[in-house]
Amino acid sequence: MGKQYEIPVGAQHISLLEPLHFRFTTENEKIVKTDANVFYVHRGIEQACCSKFKFRQVSFVVGRVCGLCSISHTTAYSQVAEKLLKIEIPRRAKYLRMLVIELDRIHSHLLCLSHVAENSGFEALFMKTMQYREFSMELLEAVCGNRIQYDFSIVGGVTRDLKPEVADMILKRLDHFMPQLEELIGIYKNNWTLSLKNKGVGRISKEDAMRLNVVGPFARAAGLAVDVRNETEDLLPWKEVGYEMITDTAGDVHARNMVRLREIEVSIRIIRNVIAGLPESDLVTETKAFPEGEATVRLEAPRGELFYYAKGNKTQVLERLKIKAPTFSNVAGMVHAFTNNEYASAPAIIASYDPCLSCTAR
Amino acid sequence: MNTFFSAIGNLFKEPVTTKYPFEPTYKPDDYRGLIGFEESLCIWCRRCELACPPGAIVFSQDMEGKQTYHYNRAVCIYCGECVRACPKEGALFQTAEPAPCALKEENINNGWNQLFDEALDSREKFAAEKKRKAAEKAAADKAAAAAKKAAEEQAGTNNETSAG
Amino acid sequence: MKKIETSLATLKNDLASFYNPAEHHFMVMNAVEMGEKMEVQWFFCDYAHPCETTCFFTLIERGEEVPSIKDIVDSAWVAEAELVDLMNINVENTAKGFVLEPDFESGPLLKKK
Repeated sequence: MGKQYEIPVGAQHISLLEPLHFRFTTENEKIVKTDANVFYVHRGIEQACCSKFKFRQVSFVVGRVCGLCSISHTTAYSQVAEKLLKIEIPRRAKYLRMLVIELDRIHSHLLCLSHVAENSGFEALFMKTMQYREFSMELLEAVCGNRIQYDFSIVGGVTRDLKPEVADMILKRLDHFMPQLEELIGIYKNNWTLSLKNKGVGRISKEDAMRLNVVGPFARAAGLAVDVRNETEDLLPWKEVGYEMITDTAGDVHARNMVRLREIEVSIRIIRNVIAGLPESDLVTETKAFPEGEATVRLEAPRGELFYYAKGNKTQVLERLKIKAPTFSNVAGMVHAFTNNEYASAPAIIASYDPCLSCTAR
Repeated sequence: MNTFFSAIGNLFKEPVTTKYPFEPTYKPDDYRGLIGFEESLCIWCRRCELACPPGAIVFSQDMEGKQTYHYNRAVCIYCGECVRACPKEGALFQTAEPAPCALKEENINNGWNQLFDEALDSREKFAAEKKRKAAEKAAADKAAAAAKKAAEEQAGTNNETSAG
Repeated sequence: MKKIETSLATLKNDLASFYNPAEHHFMVMNAVEMGEKMEVQWFFCDYAHPCETTCFFTLIERGEEVPSIKDIVDSAWVAEAELVDLMNINVENTAKGFVLEPDFESGPLLKKK
């Protein structure tokens, strides 16, 4: 056994976007043990949702849990509140929610891919991916009126309708994006320099992914077919709009890139189908009821399974709201997948997990 | 190799970013901007204040009962919940205009907190005053009624005595 | 959501007979205040379609020690560490200081008296 060193990474580090702290124990270059701490960004959002804000306002509060998957949080909360109120939302609202969730997934996945490229030392690809990502931000701005913090889902439905000219704009921009996506897939798949930093790095086996309850693209890249869109249809009809499970077998950084890129293709197909088959109905179901009882909701955010638990007590303020973000489930897998990798690969591995610490610590 | 040549080719291309100060950036027509208020249409129901998630709208009230609308663009999250809560069409509306930056002189945070507390205070005072006036009026009415009754009784006894 | 009541004594047996890593995945632990007592919940979900959420729950007194399920579910340490910090629940073999700094006052999510 060689001499062991402890190397801290974070909470502030050039390759980390979020305040996460890892302590690597290394033997020469090899990581043998990892400790993680996530205690830098606890904001007490669950407490605020159960004391200060009324249940209709909470959907705007939880949108601030995460900047990237804002729409997933608002939609998941709206769904759990709708379950407590025992109302069914209009079909058009469901379709519009799916549209914005998928647009959001495109921009989140491209952001993650660009950071993997950057942390692998490929700055030019980072620039290119960010350049191609811009269209999704503009589309989200056209649909929701804001580039981030969409505030699109409310309890009972959605706030805005999709205008025909915006629908045309989405289809046109997606057509324009398709060759760019092909180009990105080509680079991420075949580039030799990137493959040195990505192939066989940060590997997790399917058994470990299963044992450590990993979710999202992290699990799907290891061959574990877990996707909430595949499992539930009662709240959002994913199968109707052409959802398809994407999995890979390698479980390394490269496989995660590929899963994300191919999921963008699926997202584009879902968006096209949603726009083509957008049903006509109201946008909001009005109700004067108060939340009562207990309910849980699962939703596939860009990073994986998002889980909401809510308990109402027939007043304006909820009794308890529990948020489980995807990264929270992945912490155990993240810590495990570093083992036996070189310390120099750690930044790329961290980026490929797509960690969202603001969600995790809330 | 392909990447290498395209990277060389990129050197001779125009920048892809918008030349922002010289040309405008993309902004949709229904951008979520400042909340507008039309005082002549308002029915002073305060539903927008109740609906607002961050508390960016507050109504103050003077002693005559006249209410004033206060709005803070730095606290507002531009969600449009107030517009949806408004029962009177046109009294509140969302414009496509982005909020201007706050200046130090405006004291937009601390000044707003103070204003918010003062507004709630002024409403409480008005309510207390109204209650006091109502109580006074009730007392006066009661006194008047009692006086009237007493007068009637007095008149009754007078009549009786006069009759007797 | 399927709710199954258990007790602190039988919890580990119940979970061991229920949990199969190939069929279910463990999601999260949660605690809800019920007056003086607390309800602790363990959420599981199926992989198969249509999936069902299963919730094991038990009522505990404040300060009572909850057994750790780390030897049954390998990733449960994250959820347990979170409950220790945020809800001030005493979980077997779990120190505070994962979601909050170690010297922080425990239980920020408890209702203020």
